[in-house]
Amino acid sequence: MIEQLLAALTHYGSPALFVVVAIAALGAPLPVTLLLIITGSLATQGAINVWLAFVIAAAGSVAGDQVGYAVGRWGGRKLVARFTGVLGDAEQIKKLDAKAKSWGGAGVFFSRWLVTPLGPWINLASGAAGYSWLQFTLWDLIGESLGAALYIWLGHVFSDRVQEVGAILGDLGWAILGLLAAAFLGWKLFFNRTTSSTRP
Amino acid sequence: MLVLGFCLAIAAAFFFSIRAGRTARRMHWRNESIQPWMSVPFVAHTHHTRSEVLFEAIHVPPNPRDRRPIRDIAREEKLPVAELIRQLRAAIASNEATPPSGQAP
Repeated sequence: MIEQLLAALTHYGSPALFVVVAIAALGAPLPVTLLLIITGSLATQGAINVWLAFVIAAAGSVAGDQVGYAVGRWGGRKLVARFTGVLGDAEQIKKLDAKAKSWGGAGVFFSRWLVTPLGPWINLASGAAGYSWLQFTLWDLIGESLGAALYIWLGHVFSDRVQEVGAILGDLGWAILGLLAAAFLGWKLFFNRTTSSTRP
Repeated sequence: MLVLGFCLAIAAAFFFSIRAGRTARRMHWRNESIQPWMSVPFVAHTHHTRSEVLFEAIHVPPNPRDRRPIRDIAREEKLPVAELIRQLRAAIASNEATPPSGQAP
């Protein structure tokens, strides 16, 4: 599957890039980072126009993200309403919604280019939490543009080492995700210990 | 449960960082592997070889605009992909071994 996608990119260029990044933004586990790096390499070889590739990569990702947000907004809220009793009472759900909204911009921005595996989930969560569409789109556009520019540029710089650079970035993405999870769980542990020790 | 999750997250971060570091070190001395999705000009670029040399090695008319993946060429030439990759590797190796024209071997 991955090999077929890469072959399509090498053969057809930008149109294949648009389709793949849009599908990946919906949550399909596709190697978008590697694809963008290869795009940068193809641009160095003169097989693809670098500016066109950048615009197409950003536009394809934003289009996919918009679909994810819409699914969360119209499908997700119904699900939350149905499972309110299971997830917590209405007051707790309101608190979670407020938290998601306050962290919305940063979550959308960083999941576009730094912790990309979270991207599709953040799209759904933003829609379900009722995060402003305008703000979502703004952060999405900035994040996706930065991501496309960064990875295409890396592909240009390391145009003869695309597979290794893709593997390194993929591993670093998971490492950062692990560190974030550790920081969150560590904070939870610390918070739990301090509240239990101060309890009379 | 929280402690277990915390330990797993630390272990995952450690594992992926080490793996990324190893790949980065390997990058300096190892050539990019040839994959069936690559086109001949792509292979030529990653191995610092002229694409004409590689096209000639696999008996395909040289054309830098020919962006067909190796697996498509293999299908059209009725050859196994592995055999085509072997021919490309041999051409790259012999090109690397040949000194530039005008120099003594």
